[in-house]
Amino acid sequence: MRGAVTIFRREFAGLFLSPLAWILLLVSLFVNGFFFVQYLGIYRGDVTGALRASLGGSWPFWFFLVLLPPLLAMRLVSEEARNGTLEFLLTGPVGDASVVVGKFLAALAFLAILWLSVLVYALRVQTVGTPPDWGPALGGYLGAVLASGLFVAIGLLVSSLTNTPLLAAFLAFMACLGWLILPIVGANAFQSIAALLADYAGGVEVAHAWVLGALNKMDVLHHFQSSFLLGVFDTSEVVFFLTWTALFLFLTVRSLEARRWRA
Amino acid sequence: MIEVAHLTRRFGQHVAVDDVSFHLDQGEVVGFLGPNGAGKTTTMRMLTGFLPATSAQKLEVAGFDVLRKSLDVRRRIGYLPEAVPLYDEMRVREMLLFQGRLHGMSRGDLRSAVPDVLDRVGVRDRERQLVGTLSRGLRQRVGLAVALLPKPEVLILDEPTSGLDPIQRREVRALIAELASEHTVLLSTHILAEIESIAPRVIVLSEGRVVADGTQDQLVQNLAGTGHVRFEAVAGNPAEAVKLLSSLPGVTRADECGRVGIHHAFEIHGEGDLREDVGALAATQGWAVRELSWHRPTLEELFARLVLGGEEAEARAPESPPVAANTEASSDVPLLDLAPSADASKASPAPQENKVIYSLNPFDRGQSRALNEPIDPNANDAGGSQTGGEQ
Repeated sequence: MRGAVTIFRREFAGLFLSPLAWILLLVSLFVNGFFFVQYLGIYRGDVTGALRASLGGSWPFWFFLVLLPPLLAMRLVSEEARNGTLEFLLTGPVGDASVVVGKFLAALAFLAILWLSVLVYALRVQTVGTPPDWGPALGGYLGAVLASGLFVAIGLLVSSLTNTPLLAAFLAFMACLGWLILPIVGANAFQSIAALLADYAGGVEVAHAWVLGALNKMDVLHHFQSSFLLGVFDTSEVVFFLTWTALFLFLTVRSLEARRWRA
Repeated sequence: MIEVAHLTRRFGQHVAVDDVSFHLDQGEVVGFLGPNGAGKTTTMRMLTGFLPATSAQKLEVAGFDVLRKSLDVRRRIGYLPEAVPLYDEMRVREMLLFQGRLHGMSRGDLRSAVPDVLDRVGVRDRERQLVGTLSRGLRQRVGLAVALLPKPEVLILDEPTSGLDPIQRREVRALIAELASEHTVLLSTHILAEIESIAPRVIVLSEGRVVADGTQDQLVQNLAGTGHVRFEAVAGNPAEAVKLLSSLPGVTRADECGRVGIHHAFEIHGEGDLREDVGALAATQGWAVRELSWHRPTLEELFARLVLGGEEAEARAPESPPVAANTEASSDVPLLDLAPSADASKASPAPQENKVIYSLNPFDRGQSRALNEPIDPNANDAGGSQTGGEQ
């Protein structure tokens, strides 16, 4: 684990040595402020409602949630592979898992800081005199960090598959977007297919239920909005995110190992 | 320190490293020599655990199996890949601290070790410079510093001097020579001058195979059979001279190769250094000698011969039965087993009878002596009539 901590420190410091991190922070602060003001207008001054919209209740939030992690994750492995520094890391006295975990935590920590930009406005509103309901706000923040973790893990996996950072970012963005909307699209698609098939074959209902159940197990939106956004800290939802994240991190470790065979 | 037996690595159909075996003792400096694509880098990567071997009977570094005890191995090696991978956005000092932390060095250790190692490679004044802004030569030194920081038992350096100018190259070479006393060093290069000046022992790779392994002296010596004495003199009748030269003991063949003015040139092939014999003959025959020199193959020629393979070797050295007998007829690359003891005698099966020849060397004072025995300066004084020694 010492290796993971060392790598985390380097990656985290390295992020702030590149302009990308500062630009992302600045833009997110600006964008979140803009949207927060918009939501305040829409919700007629309901601070909690506006916060909830900023942290998971609106599409702009989800757009940034699938956009930012791939941008951060793209360089984590593929750029190192391209510069040859991956050879340095993988021949150093650290295991592959430490490398992956260290990089993952660095990107996640950065995103955790980035999502604080929403809470900045909540804090500002509180000082003005209208205290928001902190439960949903903090719940939404925690959810945003957990969901970011899942998408960073997906981004890392994609990044470990290609040596071109930009391609990694694009593919990871598509993958994250797909992951996000698959439950909705998939359920609708299956519904129409099931309706067509219902006349000809039996057991469609069973299959339908099974598919819906499976899709539900991947449904980030649903898991997010039914707990964190209500200010409920539900461990099963936390486990939902952690499990998927762990799976993708595991796959990344295997992919790094596979890289040795391909190289 | 490094044990490799029957190591093979394939990339799809392509066999990059083919049944390679060698071993390095502690404190040895060994040079990997071979053209591009000979499998040097692949072999090194397998030693560091970066690439897994397709098959290997034994692959051990510092007593640990590379595959099973990968982390133990990685803790004990300093590896400098050819591309010198460093993080460009870090400062030199930060890069070293990162490496130190990866190796679990304590803060106190690092405080003294970092300046030490920077001093050693001579970049102490660049401590605060960004790695990305370093010149190629400085970057190479920093890479070396990074590899040296944890004081590894084994250093594996992949083309440590590639891309450097001649002066930088000389500096890096001197540095490596200095390291040799503390580390076991395996370095690769395709520049021969480097190997000749740093590594006493050379392993020549070609097309993924070891084609020669031995000290430079052994390498050259085993091929010295193909060396020859060049002799230019005014010899009245060249045909007669060739006959005389051929009759010298140890000479396998003598050729006349042209005439320059009144001088005839001859090439005399045979065992070892025949200059003395030829010179003595010339003296007895009263030939006016213009040139008498021994042409041994340089490591460069040897390398070309080993690497270019069979046809070149045959074309260049058809007159060297000892070496030809030692090559494997089946393979198109001659496999020269240059293991020191037993094979040396096998390689030169010609009986070494004592060659006694009348010598006109003034220091021999007209005495006969066995050419195989070293000259003993005192022996003459003891038995000689001259009084110079006593006074």
